Amino acid sequence: MKSEVFDVLIIGSGHAGGMAAKILTEKGIQCLMLNAGPVADVSKDTTRKPAYELPYRGFRPPGRLEHVFQSNEFNANVWVDEQEVPYTFDPAHPYNWVRVRLFGGRSLFWSRQSFRLSDYEFKAKSHDGFGEDWPISHADLAPFYSRVEDIFQVAGALDGPPQMPDGNFVIDDDPWTPSMQRFIEAAKPKGIPVCKQRRAMGRDGLASSVNLLLPDAEKTGKLTSIANAVVRALTVDKNTGLLNGCVFIDRHTLEEMSVKARVVVLAAGTLESTRLLLNSGLANSSGVLGHYLMDQIYGAGLVASVPEARGGKGKGMMGGAAIIPRFRNIDTKSDKFLRGYAFNVTSSTGGVGARNFAAFGAELQQKMEEYHGSAFYMGIMGEVIGRKENHVRINAAKVDAWGIPVLHVETRYTDNEYNMAKDAVDTATEVVESAGFEVLSKNATPNPPGYSIHEVGTCRMGDDPKTSVLNKWCQSHDHKNLFVVDGASFTSAGWQNPTMTILALSMRASEHLAEEMGKLNL
Amino acid sequence: MRRRDFVRTLIATVFASRGLAAQEAAKPQLPIAAPVPWTLGLNPKTPIPQTTVAEGIAEAKLSFFTTAQMESLKRLCDLLMPPLGGKPGAVEAETPAFIDMLIGKSPDSRKKIYLGGLEWIEAEAQRKYKLPFAKLDDGQASALLKPWLRTWMSDHPPLEPHADFVNVAHDDIREATFNSEAWAAAGSGNAEQGTPTGVYWSPIDPESHAMSSNAKPHVLAGKGAAGVPVYPR
Repeated sequence: MKSEVFDVLIIGSGHAGGMAAKILTEKGIQCLMLNAGPVADVSKDTTRKPAYELPYRGFRPPGRLEHVFQSNEFNANVWVDEQEVPYTFDPAHPYNWVRVRLFGGRSLFWSRQSFRLSDYEFKAKSHDGFGEDWPISHADLAPFYSRVEDIFQVAGALDGPPQMPDGNFVIDDDPWTPSMQRFIEAAKPKGIPVCKQRRAMGRDGLASSVNLLLPDAEKTGKLTSIANAVVRALTVDKNTGLLNGCVFIDRHTLEEMSVKARVVVLAAGTLESTRLLLNSGLANSSGVLGHYLMDQIYGAGLVASVPEARGGKGKGMMGGAAIIPRFRNIDTKSDKFLRGYAFNVTSSTGGVGARNFAAFGAELQQKMEEYHGSAFYMGIMGEVIGRKENHVRINAAKVDAWGIPVLHVETRYTDNEYNMAKDAVDTATEVVESAGFEVLSKNATPNPPGYSIHEVGTCRMGDDPKTSVLNKWCQSHDHKNLFVVDGASFTSAGWQNPTMTILALSMRASEHLAEEMGKLNL
Repeated sequence: MRRRDFVRTLIATVFASRGLAAQEAAKPQLPIAAPVPWTLGLNPKTPIPQTTVAEGIAEAKLSFFTTAQMESLKRLCDLLMPPLGGKPGAVEAETPAFIDMLIGKSPDSRKKIYLGGLEWIEAEAQRKYKLPFAKLDDGQASALLKPWLRTWMSDHPPLEPHADFVNVAHDDIREATFNSEAWAAAGSGNAEQGTPTGVYWSPIDPESHAMSSNAKPHVLAGKGAAGVPVYPR
């Protein structure tokens, strides 16, 4: 058993690794999957509790997850502990690295927003001259997007402009509510398209690797999975220069172990995959490994109120959600920033938060009752452009709980992102005020880099091995039996949630890999 | 005589008497007279003891703020979140003591906001009214704080001095009060202001328990049981 050489070693079990496992095993390929964390079992690991039964009344446990703004005391144990797996950064430029190491990774917890990239992203340089084009176009990925959308049961309408390609959707034909109609009418003269939201409905309430991908792989009998396997380094056959497996540390016992495989598929999540390559000293003949870290700016936006819906009159008027795809720098050119941003728009039937009123005590209570059911939210998702200086590298002076050198993250937003956020809030204000809504609060400062949990790049793909780490098949230019199928391969970030693209890329890369193995090229 | 034979003989002698036998029948069988391995016994039928939270029963010892700062914080809590509509206010919800504990464990940046803020409201109260903040009436305290109230979005509290403290403290005081047992015990006026109940994730396969990761945790014991057993007394 210990001398077994697997066909493919897959590191990571989230959307990217799950898809690779499904595609490869269904083609008869024997796979070994390693995951750094344990398997979560909701029936065993969770209990319903009121906040007052928790030590910190539901507040985020102090000092523990300072860079995971999404955390609170209820969910604190699902995130990677920053002390257990630290990372470093310049305190003046913090980075929020939001990680989950449970089996299934971050596919267990995501917003389900499901968009395709368009050729405004794939061919961004051709459009505006900045950065690099991807070596693929939407047409190359479209058939894979379509299959992914089917697996994930993506709901949406076929209402996308060219910058938000339509897909294989469960059709959402619910009518807009009156508040949304008013908003749409106000946006129209400004050339702002308002479309139905697109979200993965999944099955049985979940759209994860663990329920939509891994069961298919397990059914084949070709998948072997090991939990709590913290991979320290990939190993290389000195004679051939090809990868031949990895060394991992047992999370509990700290015992070092090794496994062998003919091909390695990295799917540990953008920055963990890159960290592993950097720690292994592999795949970096270009010198760009770790560079061009990108994500999306979040946190800027506004909260408004629909006056006619106040005082309990919002029933039938409020409700619904929309996506405004990027509209800047499509047909016109901004002199303030490159690329653009999207808006998530929500018309809410719920309460309006206390932070939206400069009041306290009885006055605040009265305001909150009056405004209940009238809230209208707009939040930005803005593209962060790829710059070489935004990068990660190994900090050999610090190790994690398993003695593995940590990552140092050096990235910052520039005027391009700040101007974009300001334009977004100004534009949102104009539109909601034209619709007759009252702006209650707004913010034009983006959250720290990383907050969106959409980190991409650092192993970007391209045709030129001198300027990219991977080729168009997510395959290393340097090592033909190494594939990186998570978000690390992105050449540009786009404004879109990257999940559908990661899934489609992983599917496409895995089919190519299977084909190459079939031809004995690997 | 071997010990086993001796025991058999002894039992036979005892059961020879009808009167004694009847008496024995009413008694539970005696356990083997030997130490019981301590891990035996706890099982899915074992009742789980009912416990409550300490707040409201025990008094918390100040761990971070000085007595004077705590007096100011209590006044601030009472002003910003007074009892309303049959619901307890922040003071009744033991929020000041909770905030003392929370801030005492928080990063320095958070501590600085509170310490600076409490110092500032005290200095302002003395400057304007020649009274400690804790002794100001509602009108005086409101006049001091209201100019610093701001509207703001999640994760982006005001950064300007004074406004940062007033708004962050207000937010903390409200959340701590909503999430208190006292608030829950008063019943929910409306669903939105009920105490949040959520899915709590226990540590998942934690390393410190690596050697016993196959053992079923105690909290699961009641799950498979038909109900709390009633034993004859």
